[in-house]
Amino acid sequence: MTDDRMTEHDDLTPWFTAGRDEMGQASGDWLARMEAMALAEQPTPAVAPALGGAGATARGWLREALGQLGGWPAMAGLAAACVTGIWIGAVAPSDWTGSVASDESVSAAEPASAYDYAMLGL
Amino acid sequence: MPYDAMSDQDDDSLLAAYAAGEPSAARALTLRLGPKAFGHALRMLGDRAEAEDVAQEALLRLWRAAPGWRPGEAKVSTWLYRVVSNLCIDRMRRRRGGFADIDAVAEPQDPAPSAAAAMQQTTRGQALQAALDALPDRQKQAVVLRHIEGLSNPEIADIMDIGVRAVESLTARGRKTLEGLLAPRRDELGYDDD
Repeated sequence: MTDDRMTEHDDLTPWFTAGRDEMGQASGDWLARMEAMALAEQPTPAVAPALGGAGATARGWLREALGQLGGWPAMAGLAAACVTGIWIGAVAPSDWTGSVASDESVSAAEPASAYDYAMLGL
Repeated sequence: MPYDAMSDQDDDSLLAAYAAGEPSAARALTLRLGPKAFGHALRMLGDRAEAEDVAQEALLRLWRAAPGWRPGEAKVSTWLYRVVSNLCIDRMRRRRGGFADIDAVAEPQDPAPSAAAAMQQTTRGQALQAALDALPDRQKQAVVLRHIEGLSNPEIADIMDIGVRAVESLTARGRKTLEGLLAPRRDELGYDDD
């Protein structure tokens, strides 16, 4: 691309210059065909899914079910209840279940009713 | 994106845009690389129809290689020159048996001065092409890449998959043969008048 390449061999330089000038350029018609070929061979860009397709149907069904359950606030409450239930099941306080099961706890927890007093003749 | 907006992008970027489906990249690359591929094929083969076929095949290979192209691994233009060169050499070997006769180039005519000068230049170009056609394939390839396309020796070495010294040797031998073939035509083609 530099001039030294063109002038390093003086005897042939005029011939190479003539060769560069003489050789024809690509025709416009050929270039147009090459452009058409390039476009035909070009990979297709990724396209976003069209509205109304299978994805849109699935999203519509989910939205309807969510609305029937009370929307996102209801879903949040439901999720909190689920988590709490799982937590109680996993790490239940042992003294709480034990005291409920024992008779002493029951008598202590439940004061005597009118029926109890009648039976005792009080 | 218009073509003008892509004219300052390098070949790697354009090829990546092409692979991403950008139509303007297809146009920009065609206009940038098509004439190079065609010009080199024409100088190697000396026949427009064959040169168009070869350049088309090389461009097709480039488009198909685009999705897997690794930027920076090879220069796009070097890759294209290599494909064009190899396709040309295949054709030249297939049609071996034909010959180039430098003496068959038409004599310059005798019209008006400006037209005469243009014709003389044309005849000189044809004489050079005939002399190039007389060279062995690899010498011709090296001389064309060096002195017509204007590439550097390392670029040519990359295209021809040989060392720089081998390129220098091929071009030196090619030039010597060309000088021998063209020297007798200097007077006839008016070089002593320049």
